[in-house]
Amino acid sequence: MKHNRKFAQNCRRFTLAVIWVFSSTCIVGDETRVLRIGSPGDPQTLDPHRYTLNLEEHILKDMFLGLTAMDAKGSIVPGSAKSWQTSSDGLTWTFHLRENYWSDGTPVRAEDFVFSLRRLLAPETAAPLAFFLYVLENARDVNSGVKQPSELGVSAPDDATLVMQLEKPFPYLPERLFYPTGFPLPAHVVKEYGRDWVKPENWVSNGAYQLADWKPQQAVALTKNPHFFDHEHVAIDRVEYVPVADSLASFHRYLADELDIIGDFPAGELESLRKSHAEHVHLSPLLSTMYLVFNVSTSQFTDARVREALALAIDRQKLTQHILRSGEIPNASIVPPIVEGYSSLIETEGANLEQSRALLKEAGFGKENPLKLTLRYVTGAENKRVYVAIAAMWQELGVDVTLHHAELKVHFSDLGAGEFEVAQAGWFGEGNPEHYIELLWSKIGGINYGRYESADFDRLLEEAKNTVDSIERASILQQAEALALRDFPVVPLYSVTIRSLVNPRISGWYPNPRNSHAVRYMSLN
Amino acid sequence: MSIYVFKRAAFTLVTFVVVVSATFFLLRIAPGGPFDSERQLPPEVEANLLAAYHLDEPLYLQYLRYMGNLVRFDLGPSIKQHDFTVSELIAAGLPVSLCLGALALLIALTTGVAIGSFAAFRHNSWLDRCLSATTTLGLALPPIVTGPLLVLLFAVSLRWLPAGGLDSYLSFVLPSVALALPLAAAIAKLVRGACIEVMDQPHVTTAKAKGISNVRLAFHHVLPAGMIPILSFLGPASAALLVGSLVIEEVFALPGLGRYFVQGALNRDYTLVMGGVVVYALLILILNFVVDLVYVRLDPRIRIEDQAAAS
Repeated sequence: MKHNRKFAQNCRRFTLAVIWVFSSTCIVGDETRVLRIGSPGDPQTLDPHRYTLNLEEHILKDMFLGLTAMDAKGSIVPGSAKSWQTSSDGLTWTFHLRENYWSDGTPVRAEDFVFSLRRLLAPETAAPLAFFLYVLENARDVNSGVKQPSELGVSAPDDATLVMQLEKPFPYLPERLFYPTGFPLPAHVVKEYGRDWVKPENWVSNGAYQLADWKPQQAVALTKNPHFFDHEHVAIDRVEYVPVADSLASFHRYLADELDIIGDFPAGELESLRKSHAEHVHLSPLLSTMYLVFNVSTSQFTDARVREALALAIDRQKLTQHILRSGEIPNASIVPPIVEGYSSLIETEGANLEQSRALLKEAGFGKENPLKLTLRYVTGAENKRVYVAIAAMWQELGVDVTLHHAELKVHFSDLGAGEFEVAQAGWFGEGNPEHYIELLWSKIGGINYGRYESADFDRLLEEAKNTVDSIERASILQQAEALALRDFPVVPLYSVTIRSLVNPRISGWYPNPRNSHAVRYMSLN
Repeated sequence: MSIYVFKRAAFTLVTFVVVVSATFFLLRIAPGGPFDSERQLPPEVEANLLAAYHLDEPLYLQYLRYMGNLVRFDLGPSIKQHDFTVSELIAAGLPVSLCLGALALLIALTTGVAIGSFAAFRHNSWLDRCLSATTTLGLALPPIVTGPLLVLLFAVSLRWLPAGGLDSYLSFVLPSVALALPLAAAIAKLVRGACIEVMDQPHVTTAKAKGISNVRLAFHHVLPAGMIPILSFLGPASAALLVGSLVIEEVFALPGLGRYFVQGALNRDYTLVMGGVVVYALLILILNFVVDLVYVRLDPRIRIEDQAAAS
């Protein structure tokens, strides 16, 4: 009897202890305000000069403040620079820096920006995206080792002023500067630790957060930077970017409440989620263009009529509304329709099979002599549905289509080498029309996959590149685009949509065309 | 004996060099390179990147450089995971993979042996047929199917266990069960077959005639003999675990070596894939070498052949 009472007492004590441990864990969880974000993979680097991936860009933007930044809705706002001026010829940009500190408490000086830009373009850094800032004077020559980094068009007349000298007018510079390639690096730390400056124990940055820990393939953990200029408005104490490469696994972890935000989930789940988790689902059009590219040097596609016939046979509405069904925007212009300050002269119309057949007949193709082609795309379930549908649309014209898919690296390696006939391509990123239209420039290099060349288009594009006024520049770009697309070197298809799941207890997260969601604007309710 | 061991050690070393060399050249033949992406790089940038990793040198020089570094146990920097060396990544991932593999093997062995021997003792009963059908199902369902099903049931619906990642030791439960299931089914089938065969042997009949209990019969006479095929199965089973862990680590977002290996292969991260091959090859070759040594102890014919060769 005595034993039984003692046993019951012990049981009660144990239960109370368990309840205390759990409740104290919950309190700690509430007090530290941790946000867990599903990332589509592990970052390959946290050095802003060596980054290449979007997921790295998101993490780095939480830790650094470039000259310009983005607000919660994706608009460009002043960052480390509180204001800037441009010379009348558009070649000299003067930035005035705000009072701002590194996470170790030392002030951010204009010289840190100079150091950083020179490091970015130095050949030994081997920065994969150094070309983002080829707009700077002598940048290309510095990057190829012809000139010294000290000859780069950037200088710091005093601690709070930074001057950039450009090769040509570039009105989109404020947008280009909010990529990590334009971030300042803590010169005093990089010089001391070399490549090891990115280790958590050496880490110093000037953004809302600093690196606390990085366990490869487990999580990148960030904590609030107490020296950030706006730190009193930063509500979340700790952010964990958790790599989940598989979208189904990431979806399951979100449903199990292990993640608060995920940037992708399987398209097939959309309909049921709209019913069960309506307030979690966000669809946002992305600044992007998906298109087909013709290799104009292959025998079938030297004739523009053949390219036009195939372009006219594609029903974009069918692709977006019946195949993809996630709110993608059908678009016949190579510039995404959500780019502000640009309206394309190209109309997005439905398929015109009669005209397609007539054009193919004119070009010498028919039942006895069918057009044969291979359509290449990147391996993936969603892509497969799209490209099988396009092949079916072409088969209606009597075209003999062979489908070929390969993983991303192989696909783009083949495209770069010109080993294709018609292929899937896509371009993401900026909110200016030139970023997309220059894909057809004969001097741009390998990214003009189809090796399209038009002297008139090149002349117009180069004229636009020398124009300071952005309205006038957009109008020249309009003409250039219309001229090039009359030759059908590419067939723009649609702009993609980002499918996100965001826990409704998070406020300050807004869908935006850049898919940029700085944690400093978010809070947990 | 010593000649045999020396021969096996030399064979192991040669195999290792062949595997590493073949992988090195096969990786370079594979289409696509580490810096290929939808963003074609300007020639200046590509030249800087190739020079940074010595990829601009002739292939034989790159090979000699790699083998030279390997002798010094230097696996080099990862081409894509810029902030880590390959050794650092392996050091982070290998313990997770080994833990996953060991747990899966333990689960597979215990459940497989239990189910197999139970089915053998209830040979031809309805219970035996049910267990046989279950094990066939277990064999037919790969971890890539059972993994997400287990997550849906135990993590999403019941919320008993984590859906992925490595936040606590509980994170190992679902992945190791998913990985163990096909192996447990295979072991159960093997044990059942072997036990049934042993039960027909004269020494078991004699034991039964002497009137010993069923438990004693099972543990002293049937199971020890029925275990022998399991020992020979452990080699292929370890290989199956390694292959399975590549998938499972991806499905459960476990930070193991397999995940680096898959990501490395997709990214054409030559040094990381080579590092993975070096580790996997070493593991399998050392295991095989140890098994060869154990065979010497168990199989007198090897000792006799060895003595004949020596004389």
